[in-house]
Amino acid sequence: MNASTESLAEMLQSAAAMQESGRAVLRTMLGMGDVEVGTSEKHCVLSEDKIRLYRYSALARSANLKPVLICYAMVNRPYLLDLQPDRSFIRELLLSGLDEYLLDWGYPDGADRFLGYEAYVDGYLRRCIEFVLREHVIDSLTLLGVCQGGTMSLCYAALEPKQIAQLITMVTPVDFKTPENLLSKWAQHIDVDLLTQSGNVSGDFLNLVYLSLMPFRLTQQKYVNLLKMQGDRVQLENFMRMEKWIFDSPDQPAAAFREFIQWFFQENRLIRDELTLGGRPVRLKNLTAPVLNIYASKDHLVPPSASIPLGAHIGSQDYQSLEVDAGHIGLYVGGKTRKSVPAAVTAWLQARR
Amino acid sequence: MSGGFLKAWVDQAGAFQEMFARLVDQSTAAVPPSMASPLLAPWKNFLDGMGMGGFNPEQMFPGTPALGLSREYQETAARLLDLSKQFQQRYAEFAQHNATIMQDAFHVLKKRFDEAPSASKTPAELYDAWIDCAEGTYAQAAHSERFARLLAELCNISSAFKVERGKLTEQIARHLDLPSRAEVDNLHRQVRALTTAIRAAAASSAASGAAASSSAASGAAKASKPPRKPRKRTKK
Repeated sequence: MNASTESLAEMLQSAAAMQESGRAVLRTMLGMGDVEVGTSEKHCVLSEDKIRLYRYSALARSANLKPVLICYAMVNRPYLLDLQPDRSFIRELLLSGLDEYLLDWGYPDGADRFLGYEAYVDGYLRRCIEFVLREHVIDSLTLLGVCQGGTMSLCYAALEPKQIAQLITMVTPVDFKTPENLLSKWAQHIDVDLLTQSGNVSGDFLNLVYLSLMPFRLTQQKYVNLLKMQGDRVQLENFMRMEKWIFDSPDQPAAAFREFIQWFFQENRLIRDELTLGGRPVRLKNLTAPVLNIYASKDHLVPPSASIPLGAHIGSQDYQSLEVDAGHIGLYVGGKTRKSVPAAVTAWLQARR
Repeated sequence: MSGGFLKAWVDQAGAFQEMFARLVDQSTAAVPPSMASPLLAPWKNFLDGMGMGGFNPEQMFPGTPALGLSREYQETAARLLDLSKQFQQRYAEFAQHNATIMQDAFHVLKKRFDEAPSASKTPAELYDAWIDCAEGTYAQAAHSERFARLLAELCNISSAFKVERGKLTEQIARHLDLPSRAEVDNLHRQVRALTTAIRAAAASSAASGAAASSSAASGAAKASKPPRKPRKRTKK
């Protein structure tokens, strides 16, 4: 057999193996049914319009630390942090004895189209924080903001520094105009007034934008890679949980979305000290609480260069950054990081009790 | 008239959706010669039904002032037509740009294999190498100002189209005596204003209640103090 015949034979063998893998994947998927997400026990302690504030049930003896309020992004659902029992950032913190609250922004609809950014930060977020403070009869808590929720948390902490004992930001954009930020480059020429004139911005539109950031990997390769799972049920269930989360994107309230894009992406007001909310200036220098800034080195949505500048703009004397070798999502669910990141958060909090 | 108008609008929306689906599916294929025709067909049918057979908006709209009873509809239709054409032009540019990206990616892939001809090339490895090259080339282009502008223009034209379509929907809703978007928006604003007022009133009442109870508490504390002993009066 000459070299080209051998190579053809190899290719045919590989193709046959791939076909068999495909059949195995389909067989497993057909019998899988729906996947469960967000399984840690929690109960709603406050609800207002579309938002819900949840408190998680304790899983370990209390670490006697301040309660942690998690402020997630509005553009995705927060169950990413509690995807499944063995991939749950929230569960890991609960196992460390933390008392956790989660702010779920829900699914905004047409009734919310006129709600501005201020209503979310200085309204809903404020009332959730004040609720937790009242419940625990304390003056300050730990605020943990994720992605866009991190930016919202920064704004709130700058407005009400006394209510924030510690601030943790995770994959949070602070400088929205760095050269690596593809989303920001695309956002510069969008007429957001026009985009939001017809109402809320659909979650499907946002998903299309996210997929366009890495179209070949996100719309092709990841599905082709299913073949490598050989019909492994556990792996396929993990894949389906993530798939469910990725495309479960709420519509964005028109006014808040418009302001977020214009003020942050197009005008970079936060880092330029030009942001005001409710007539009050939002100055990062006012933020004096200890800050832990966690970012992911392979983040294609919020590049490290967007998060790193935080330290230079806040007034806190106790600032620590933590670079994690992961992507934007892998930070929470990745093989190594799903345990190491919550452990780092707990250790940082314990050092500041 | 409203039934015919509604049908034209629904057909128009369907045609636009179909066009968009085609564009998404054929991101690298050549753009069809005319995408405006299927978009215009529903309006031609609508105008035929109104006894305006032979009306060709593609020829008539440019520079022609809208006249008569259907003046406003003509104007909206003209704007929709114009936006459809703009979208078609921009999309053709975008598709061309994407085709160049794919070509460049193939060149990169070829170069990679030319440089390492002995590397193993199973179908899976070939595919992964292709994805790496395509993603790398795409990222380079996607960061360019031209790409960002093209994307933004497509988005802005679509947004403008949606706004015009919304105006038609408003008119149809009025014809059918259905609540229009503008009316619903007004109601939302009123409800929001009322909610804010109620919340402010509740907060102020809670604050004054707290102040009253704290002053009552301090009053009660004073009241609960043991009565002072009467002063002894001394005779001067």
